[in-house]
Amino acid sequence: MASSVATERASSEVSRREPAAPISLGRVAGLAVLTLGAVVFLFPFYYMVVGALQREPKTDISGAFPNPANLTLANFADINAQVDLVRTLINSGIFTGGVLLATFVIGMLAGYALAQLDFRGRNVVFNAMLLILVLPFQLFMIPLYVLIVRTYGLADNYLGMILPFAVNATAVFIFRQFFLQLPRELFESARIDGASEFMILRRIAIPLARPAIITALIVTFIGPWNEFLWPFLITKQHDLQPLAVALANYISTVAARAANPFGSILAGAVVLAIPAVIVFVVFQRQFIESNLGSGVKG
Amino acid sequence: MSRTGLRLVSIATALVLVLAACTSGGSGAPAGSAASAKGPIKIWYSNNKEEVAWAKAVLAAWNKDHADQQVTGEEIPAGKTSEEVIGASITAGNTPCLIFNTAPAAVPQFQKQGGLVALDDFADGASYIKERTGDRADQYKFTDGKFYQMPWKTNPVMIFYNKTVFTKAGIPTDSPPLKTYDEFLATAKTLVAKGGVQAAIWPSPTSEFFQPWFDFYPLFIAQSGGKQLVEGGEPQFTSPDGLAVANFWKALYDAKLAPNEPYPKDSFGDQKAAMAIVGPWAIAVYGGKVEWGAVPVPTKDGKDAKEIHTFSDEKSIGMYTSCKNRGTAWEFLKFATSKDSDGQLLTLTGQMPMRTDVVGAYPDYFQKNPEYQQFADAASRTVEVPIVPNSVEMWQTFRTSYSESVIFGKKPIDQAFKEAADKIKTLVSGS
Amino acid sequence: MAVAAAGRGGRMRRLIGRDPIGYAFIAPYVIFLAALFAYPLLLALYISFFDYFFAAPGAEVERPFVGLRNYAQILGDPVFQRAILNVVEFIIINVPLTVVLSLVLASALNAKLPFRAFFRTSYYIPYVTASVAVIGVWLWLFSGTGLLNSLLSPIAPKPSWLVNEFWAMPVIALTVTWKQLGFYVLIYLAALQNIPKELYEAAEVDGAGVVRRFLAITVAEVRPATTLVVILATIVGANLFTEPYLLTGGGGPNGASMSPVLLMYRQGIEQGHAGYAAAIGAVLAIGVMVISAINRFVLERE
Repeated sequence: MASSVATERASSEVSRREPAAPISLGRVAGLAVLTLGAVVFLFPFYYMVVGALQREPKTDISGAFPNPANLTLANFADINAQVDLVRTLINSGIFTGGVLLATFVIGMLAGYALAQLDFRGRNVVFNAMLLILVLPFQLFMIPLYVLIVRTYGLADNYLGMILPFAVNATAVFIFRQFFLQLPRELFESARIDGASEFMILRRIAIPLARPAIITALIVTFIGPWNEFLWPFLITKQHDLQPLAVALANYISTVAARAANPFGSILAGAVVLAIPAVIVFVVFQRQFIESNLGSGVKG
Repeated sequence: MSRTGLRLVSIATALVLVLAACTSGGSGAPAGSAASAKGPIKIWYSNNKEEVAWAKAVLAAWNKDHADQQVTGEEIPAGKTSEEVIGASITAGNTPCLIFNTAPAAVPQFQKQGGLVALDDFADGASYIKERTGDRADQYKFTDGKFYQMPWKTNPVMIFYNKTVFTKAGIPTDSPPLKTYDEFLATAKTLVAKGGVQAAIWPSPTSEFFQPWFDFYPLFIAQSGGKQLVEGGEPQFTSPDGLAVANFWKALYDAKLAPNEPYPKDSFGDQKAAMAIVGPWAIAVYGGKVEWGAVPVPTKDGKDAKEIHTFSDEKSIGMYTSCKNRGTAWEFLKFATSKDSDGQLLTLTGQMPMRTDVVGAYPDYFQKNPEYQQFADAASRTVEVPIVPNSVEMWQTFRTSYSESVIFGKKPIDQAFKEAADKIKTLVSGS
Repeated sequence: MAVAAAGRGGRMRRLIGRDPIGYAFIAPYVIFLAALFAYPLLLALYISFFDYFFAAPGAEVERPFVGLRNYAQILGDPVFQRAILNVVEFIIINVPLTVVLSLVLASALNAKLPFRAFFRTSYYIPYVTASVAVIGVWLWLFSGTGLLNSLLSPIAPKPSWLVNEFWAMPVIALTVTWKQLGFYVLIYLAALQNIPKELYEAAEVDGAGVVRRFLAITVAEVRPATTLVVILATIVGANLFTEPYLLTGGGGPNGASMSPVLLMYRQGIEQGHAGYAAAIGAVLAIGVMVISAINRFVLERE
């Protein structure tokens, strides 16, 4: 572990010490295109934030460039009065956190096994996982509900919320694809040295697959964070409901009564989106350019 | 597949078959004992602010006097998702004893699932319902003649109009020309031309199964003098009345007085439409924002207001088979629909309880709120959706053909309606 | 150790494979799948052969066996056929666009640009925002009186985008591409981390230009990621539900934007025909598996 960290630090320092690329027409053009693209991508979100901050909703183009006098935090206060933002955010956190934990532990083991370990029945499991991935949730919804509520007795319970999402099949798929990219020779030497498979996973495979892990975790985060149908079915008690559910409830019934319904809905949506953005911003730094090649060839 | 794999699958299939058999057969609690059992019960009610206030008041009053039969309540949202939640709950067997926002159109489905208790099982079941609701109660019986729901409250659908916009367009606001189809169309044209609105009226043009209840159906009920979509197993909407209503709406869509695209929020509240077709629950929403007035829905030749029937947009109360203490549930049901509780409902929400002679029963309220009186009057002439098998699919079939012919003009109306009628006839016969 | 491992009984090894520790690793996941998805999956298959609906526990109801009738009805239903065509149209627009755009973007975002973090975040944001919140904005953009039409006024299609039989599905395809792109960019970003710098440096020394380096090295090295992206994008396309449901209010004009899952939801949950809905699911699953198998075959050719 210590050696690979040192390698990483060394390589990133090396890349930082390289001189910056020269400013060429190509680079400027590329940057311009990227910026234009970023504007297009950001615009709806920007509009959402602006809408959340406006006192009076403006549905035409002028709404995109608000009058500073029209800006207010009242919409956030409004939605907080209807929906306990703190409590629901905590619930969202518990729900998503549980899913992340299960996916990381169980999914990682499974992804590694599917990619690098040779055992009979491997393909059966892989195909079963593909099948789950392919089928839409609507198909499973009612039998799953019956199963969890009646057979396992987990209604109105965080575990009942977490279970169907517990191991994200997409994440397992991602783990597998990336572990597939790692050459077997890497592990053979460790095996010959007497390391247990588990240690190999922990000490070698995981650090190498770090970008894939970050990707899988970010991806796994979004699902439960934005999910509103399942937790809604499972929990009737308000103090267990995650923010996405409370927001959906709010939109469908109560919103019309607020002073600025459009604004307060957007305020709720912004609050829902922000933690996801923060998670991404924090973790995208992990995509450091590491010099993997030298690890194998050396 | 490998031999092990095959073996695994066959074991699993056997397991599933056993499980499926267990869940479909078996026996529930014998009806007799449950009907008189007393004890604590749970109920669900809608999550809109006013109804929550009402529910809490009624619960508090009951619980004070019935320490051994406490009633606890939880909120579920009204709207399309509530049907999903109830359906899933029925399957899982965890529905509460009473649900206060059961939509009549969903009742046949819940009944088919074996989820609803026939209120006729109680000694005074049918008689209580008839006494409270009068003749209109018959519309709520299922094809087997039993009451699987208690009609609770109605929101008679009328035309709301924006007085400010009307004045701007130069149209009188005390008795606006909206009685006949011709008048309505002319007024609509003036409104869009001079009133500064995008649309004269903006019913949602989307294809969900319940949308006809807010465009075609109220006008059809008015024009036909109170007919349902289907009566006695026969579709009624292919009659000259039905076609007249459809052609009226088509004229509005053709002249772009009603847009064929949905508005993401509330077009009337946002003043994009001069009129809306909705019930008195909307007053709480529009009250502060719009200077509103209300008139009955139009008819072809302008019937007298006192004769116009309309859609009830009613919500019922259902008692569900998972209920153990049905005795208490029934007593509570009667309590929640007593004169006092109904009065509270009226005062707190402005929605009309399904009582005979609402105006006479609560004179003080209507003196203080005269604008609600026309709704109470209309409430005595409301018509319900037909309580027939496959009712949701029936409405979906109708909506698809209406959308094709009236909203998007792709097919001639009589052809589209005839095809729909043929399909619907088969659906409601229960096959 | 290697000698000892090879010495283990040859038959044993053939029976359980070289690394039986794999069973221990995979066990938690298998238990999870069995405990949670086995029953719903097999039940769904089972009920697709019946005129099935979900009933209250203890209710006595008739659910006759109908063999392949549900399947026959589905395949002959014009609404379903239109829904399948819609999904195919969606996939044709969305998948190539997604692969190309996300790889190009990922490569660009991988380079040492100023404001890298900002750019990465901005392309990722649509993926993160809940559909329900963004739909309002898209409706505003694409409605008859919306932004796009005011900009394109003379050549704007009539009727406007979302209620136009021809344009409804492409608009949805564009919306979903925009929304999901951040996810695929992430996957490619991660894959790009594993490409050794030496490959690029060697190619540059050999005189290869930017485009040539991109095509010969980048595209080739991320092949497993491309397979992943194609399969996932196809699955997302086949399972399209939220956008047709919200953007075009339940299937669009004459089902122009109806999707199979939306149909499944309508039939299964709104109308209570669970057996029929399960059959739709089965047909859909078979279709997607076939397409995925084709994709894998084409892309994973050694």
